[in-house]
Amino acid sequence: MEAIASIAPEVIETTPSVSNTVPKLISGSEALMMGLVAEGVDTIFGYPGGAIMPVYDALYDYQDRINHILVRHEQGAGHAAQGYARMQSRAGVCLVTSGPGATNLVTAIADAQIDSTPMVCIVGQVAKRLLGTDAFQEADVMGVTMPITKWNYQITNADEVPEILSKAFYIAQSGRPGPVLIDMTKSAQLELMTKPFVYERCQSIISYRPRRIPKQEQVEVAARLINNAKRPYVLVGHGVQIAKAEDELRLFVEKTGIPVATTLLGQSTISTDHPLYVGWLGMHGNYGPNVMTDQADVIIAIGMRFDDRVTGDASKYIKQAKVVHIEIDPSEIDKIIRADAPVVGDAKEALKALTALVEPNDHTIWRNEFRKYDTIEYEQITLPELTSTEGKIRMAEVIDMLSKKTNGEAVLVTDVGQHQMMASRYYQFRRPNSLVTSGGMGTMGFALPAAFGAQVGAPDRQIVAIIGDGCFQMTLQELGTIVQNKQPVKAIILNNNFLGMVRQWQQLFHERRYSFVELQNPDFITIARGFGMDGQTCDKRESLSDALDTMLNHDGPFLLEVIVEKEENVFPMVPAGTSVAQIRLK
Amino acid sequence: MTTYTICIFTENTIGLLNRITIIFTRRRINIESLTVSETERKGVSRFTIVIKHESREEVEKLVRQIRKIVEVLAVFGYLNEEIVYNEIALFKVSTPLGSKPLDVETINQQYKAWVVYWGLDYVVIEKTGNDTEIFEFFGYIKQYDILEFVRSGRVAVGKTEKGLVEYLPESEWAYYL
Repeated sequence: MEAIASIAPEVIETTPSVSNTVPKLISGSEALMMGLVAEGVDTIFGYPGGAIMPVYDALYDYQDRINHILVRHEQGAGHAAQGYARMQSRAGVCLVTSGPGATNLVTAIADAQIDSTPMVCIVGQVAKRLLGTDAFQEADVMGVTMPITKWNYQITNADEVPEILSKAFYIAQSGRPGPVLIDMTKSAQLELMTKPFVYERCQSIISYRPRRIPKQEQVEVAARLINNAKRPYVLVGHGVQIAKAEDELRLFVEKTGIPVATTLLGQSTISTDHPLYVGWLGMHGNYGPNVMTDQADVIIAIGMRFDDRVTGDASKYIKQAKVVHIEIDPSEIDKIIRADAPVVGDAKEALKALTALVEPNDHTIWRNEFRKYDTIEYEQITLPELTSTEGKIRMAEVIDMLSKKTNGEAVLVTDVGQHQMMASRYYQFRRPNSLVTSGGMGTMGFALPAAFGAQVGAPDRQIVAIIGDGCFQMTLQELGTIVQNKQPVKAIILNNNFLGMVRQWQQLFHERRYSFVELQNPDFITIARGFGMDGQTCDKRESLSDALDTMLNHDGPFLLEVIVEKEENVFPMVPAGTSVAQIRLK
Repeated sequence: MTTYTICIFTENTIGLLNRITIIFTRRRINIESLTVSETERKGVSRFTIVIKHESREEVEKLVRQIRKIVEVLAVFGYLNEEIVYNEIALFKVSTPLGSKPLDVETINQQYKAWVVYWGLDYVVIEKTGNDTEIFEFFGYIKQYDILEFVRSGRVAVGKTEKGLVEYLPESEWAYYL
């Protein structure tokens, strides 16, 4: 992410070098295009409309340099940009019109903010003279997005374009990444710049200085705690993948012999078959990693923010342990859990510095304590789920089989709910950056557009979306985008005709009062075919393997609907508001 | 409840007030007073925000969240004893013919307040000081008919010897005054 800052300033000038010629002055829209090209943007996800039309007009001349993808709904543009950003490790770009165009993007912006996904959203706005008049398709997008963006700015004159655009990319991609929004008035898009276009990539901002290299004193304090620990435990969040610190993490834990667990978004940071990997944390995470959190004497939290889905009741969380918290965003330090040794910096740099100071250690006895819980979980949950012969197909079987058929090398893009948790539980991730999911926001409808964006961002990787029947119906129109752009996205709907996770909670905590969670679903395959996508339904255990083969071998996008057990629950589970030690196996 | 004074140095940009106050709103922290003005450095604004809160820890978290805003240069949270602070209040007092005459000497000498405007049948008195001093004067002056009363937000400087220059180096921010 930080690589951008290390690139020498790239200056683009429109002023001809011969001084006696009159420089050609360009419009704000054209300046925007030139700026995007200078930032190396090759793909934009967008939807045109009245207040962004001058930009679309300029884009017409840039089609050879910028691939614009027309989505079916602005929310789809946002999630697609998120998927693209996660694969490319740089900002995804959205382009939408004012008013409803911008407000439709809001969910994706909030999602990107909480999951630290870099995104630059360029939004049309009514002309400057109409601002604040309740003009047609005017919405106070600055006001609306202020709390859910890392930064936003309203451009009201064309001359501002180069500087603001370069700041937007720098802010979105540096430090803790996040979404940035530029609200651009139609008048600024149309008017000519009064000076020659010069584009210089932003290198720093006086009031914004993310600390990449941690202070040595902080690293030393952390190293001392780790070296003296008897039962140390590493918790890995999304920040490690954002910093591309997977190798540094591996070297650190291999040197120290410390067991590693990941958060939901931290999954795939370390291969699931690594001997030091013990599983994932949180409400539906693995049994051992949750229980053992309460037995560690030193917790080393890296690039994670102690989300309530991880901590359960924070007032009862890791009271016995000293905490080393490695985090690039200083506002996360002590926010939920007080850190005894905060290390503010980029995970890659922090881990490098820390690895140099920690001593090799053997924590075999401590590590083995996790194994007894693994055995309990395996015998009570995993085995019955994977070897079921009665009833409908179990979600676990689908994911397990997919995992084997893809050797754990696919990128899973999941939606939100039971299928998301099952995908996390049963997919054996072998490669880094292989899970794209909506973690913090829990946005239903995320997977289909995000899978499409991920496929555009990583054409060489196998992308498989795992979607619930409820989630699918929130953004299914993006099937059209997938087909039009010929992206070989594979999507699996795990269909139980229920809003499964809500139903599970109603069963467990609301006395089976199934309040509005049953869906009358359409024929998903007919819908896919209507969009021009092939697909099939599988409702028999014995045909699941063939169905997955058909999907994976299909040339082009494919929708596989699997009819799964109707009332299946995801366990283990830490009920909301309880401590992680109260994790339930049934 | 403890009173905290939050001083925030920011770039002077449109919408920043909103971005800062949202952070208080989201945490359901009421703003007791808020004062903003440009500092002696060109393009640098200073916010002085007074809040009351039970937990110092929560205030520290709040300060870190404010610091996170891109345009924010520095943020400090102070207890009352750590700052020199003042407010200004204006009292518009009715003085029609035949009413009780104002005791200007007491107003000046005892309360260090000044008549800053003489209207036909009213005067405007200015009183600076902390909130206790202002309300003490209020208690005195209310024997006259108070037509209007207005109190500014707090302005404050820290008692530490460190100056602004340590946080905002002069090489980056020129004086404009």
